[in-house]
Amino acid sequence: MYNRAIVHIDLDAFFVSCERLIDSSLNGKPVLVGGTSGRGVVAACSYEARAYGIHSAMPMRMAQQLCPHAIVIKGNGGTYSKYSDAVTDIIKEHAPLYEKSSIDEFYIDVSGMDKFYGCYKWAKELRNTIIKETGLPISFGLSTNKTVAKVSTNEAKPNNYMEVAQGVEKPFLAPLSIKKIPMVGDQTYKMLQGMGIEHIHTVQEMPIELMERLLGKNGIAIWKKAQGIDNTPVVAYNERKSISSSITFERDTIDIRKLKDILSTMAEKLAFYLRNGKKLTSCVTVTVRYSDFDTRSRQVRVPYTSCDHTLIKKVIGLFDLLYNRRVLARLVGVRYSHLVEGAYQINLFEDTEEMINLYQAMDKIRNRFGQNSVRRVVTMDTRGVGMMSNPFNGLPPVIPAHRRA
Amino acid sequence: MKFIVSSSELSKQLQSISGVLNTNNTLPILDDFLFEVNKNSLVVSASDLETTVSCSVDIESKDEGSIAVPARLLLDTLKTFPEQPLTFLMDTENLGIEISSDYGKYKLTGHNSDEFPKIPVIEGGNSLEMDSAVLIRALSKTLFATGNDELRPVMNGVLVELSSDGMTFVATDAHKLVKYQRTDAKADSTASFIIPKKPLNLLKNIMPEEGDDFKIKIEYNESNTFFSFKNINLICRLIDGKYPNYDAVIPKENPNKLHVDRAAFLNCIKRVSIFANKTTHQVKLKVTGSELHVSAEDLDFANEANERITCNYEGEDIEIGFNSRFLIEMLANLDTEEVLLEMSAPNKAGILSEVKGDSKEDGEDLLMLVMPVMLNN
Repeated sequence: MYNRAIVHIDLDAFFVSCERLIDSSLNGKPVLVGGTSGRGVVAACSYEARAYGIHSAMPMRMAQQLCPHAIVIKGNGGTYSKYSDAVTDIIKEHAPLYEKSSIDEFYIDVSGMDKFYGCYKWAKELRNTIIKETGLPISFGLSTNKTVAKVSTNEAKPNNYMEVAQGVEKPFLAPLSIKKIPMVGDQTYKMLQGMGIEHIHTVQEMPIELMERLLGKNGIAIWKKAQGIDNTPVVAYNERKSISSSITFERDTIDIRKLKDILSTMAEKLAFYLRNGKKLTSCVTVTVRYSDFDTRSRQVRVPYTSCDHTLIKKVIGLFDLLYNRRVLARLVGVRYSHLVEGAYQINLFEDTEEMINLYQAMDKIRNRFGQNSVRRVVTMDTRGVGMMSNPFNGLPPVIPAHRRA
Repeated sequence: MKFIVSSSELSKQLQSISGVLNTNNTLPILDDFLFEVNKNSLVVSASDLETTVSCSVDIESKDEGSIAVPARLLLDTLKTFPEQPLTFLMDTENLGIEISSDYGKYKLTGHNSDEFPKIPVIEGGNSLEMDSAVLIRALSKTLFATGNDELRPVMNGVLVELSSDGMTFVATDAHKLVKYQRTDAKADSTASFIIPKKPLNLLKNIMPEEGDDFKIKIEYNESNTFFSFKNINLICRLIDGKYPNYDAVIPKENPNKLHVDRAAFLNCIKRVSIFANKTTHQVKLKVTGSELHVSAEDLDFANEANERITCNYEGEDIEIGFNSRFLIEMLANLDTEEVLLEMSAPNKAGILSEVKGDSKEDGEDLLMLVMPVMLNN
């Protein structure tokens, strides 16, 4: 019996699985999905490829050296979203409360279902339904909270399931590597490992104060997770706190004009999303990563707005302040944060009626004929600035597996 | 230098001018009141460099001299006394001040009066006289609409335009605008200047309540204005800059006219706006036929409100969004039972004005303009 029962569902090698549904000849072969250019990284890899030591977030070149005969696919975000939505629809139909935490992961709160049916049995049936209807391999873990459920899913993989009953969370976690705790990234892992902490049971036996001294607030969070304590609720609606866009160049560039054009494109595109989502921003951030990975960003507060003409000016102004090293740039990005619900308050002296009508007309055209049907001249030449669907639909941003923290 | 003064009289006068004192001054002398004793009259001044207010108080003294007194200390002390004569003994040489009350003695140290900023004098300016009631009314109608943006200092004041036909007071923060005209108060010459809102607020607070009518003398030149009435003098620096061309942004053609009961409209917006987003306060007005729908929603909390009130409307159906704060402020500053909201398009300004019936000949004209928000449907 569970007081609280959380199911974590994860689609195995999701992008690869989608590609295999489209092209069954990929079955049983090492497949890599990700950027194919020089800078590309592996976004997903099949279990056959993992056997060669390949993992997601690995540079594509390195992966190809490890496994030269692997099939590399560039991937298409739109297709994956479609499959992801299909899975979401099935879960929505069956689950009382679910959270879509990324494109291929879900948490479902099934507390209280024991009484009538059995959580484990219910989850197994849900898994079978998803497999039957979509054909995607899927794993799940059932436990008393999100952390343990997620860890158990990872243990169950691939294409399997697992239950960690109430009361045995701690012994379940104890023999595992500390790396398995969500939140423990490369840095933390190296640091803890350097101190001789390898397995979760060591953390379990440590006093919480020691973890706090080592890692601050995160230390407390990691310690709690190691104990199998996690009270975070399953949140059905994911509110966007910011929207952003960034691009890593194929080749580092010092072409200021190109950089500015790209930033303008991003600023324009994001402002369009704001207006479409009936949002206003009051904080603009610009980020530049130089070729030596030195990453700088600067932000400025602005009066609530969603107009590209003011935002583009701010973005370019920030970039001028920021880009001062005369070094090749590797990445540039724009972020709008401090978002609020609302429409742009028209200014009596600065905005003209024509300007406002123009915005409305442009947005109308974009919504009807596509985002790129009308754009500013400066943004005409820039390509490859990521496109998204409505970012304010309550779903989490689509972040591929390799970019997740 | 020695003088005797009534504690409550001094306290009252100091309180009224203390509004000019800033809480954190860069110049320490600005935390002081300047005391100037001239036989049986004491003139106390306070300044923030932009604005200087002084008031005269009757005292008993045979001496002459001046000294700067720490304002906060003095105000706090005076507040605690019941009415009684206080004796001030001030040494202008070593700057010692001794106050004697019925209860005891208090010593504090003043500053040299020479350090106190020189009060500007208006030379070669024009002057006019004005009824206090007119000025109070003009200020209370316009001050709320002034801006707060340091980047646009001209909007942080009230524009005063004088001419032989009348007077116009204008305030705007680029989202709303108020234009208050008087045809019954006239000036001899044509002039226009922008007075910062701080001294005007101060003036509004110092001036006695309506009903007690008196004349205010106003002198002005390019850089300063000087107000004097009763025992109070206020001089302030004008805001230097060009006021935006407000007349050009007031739409002339407004075919859609909405007549509505002011109190009903105000209360409706007050209620509905509670359900609007807490940061943007936006409400939507939708007029169809003779019905006005007011709605607001806050998606973050799934809050929503809808109300409808009857109105008298001529024009095409319209849907327009406003910041409810602006509407509430404006409606609260109108006096008539019925108001008129004129609109032309959802992206153009709405104009609120009073509907006065037949007795419109009272010499004043009030226009309030509010910019909508950009709705996309």
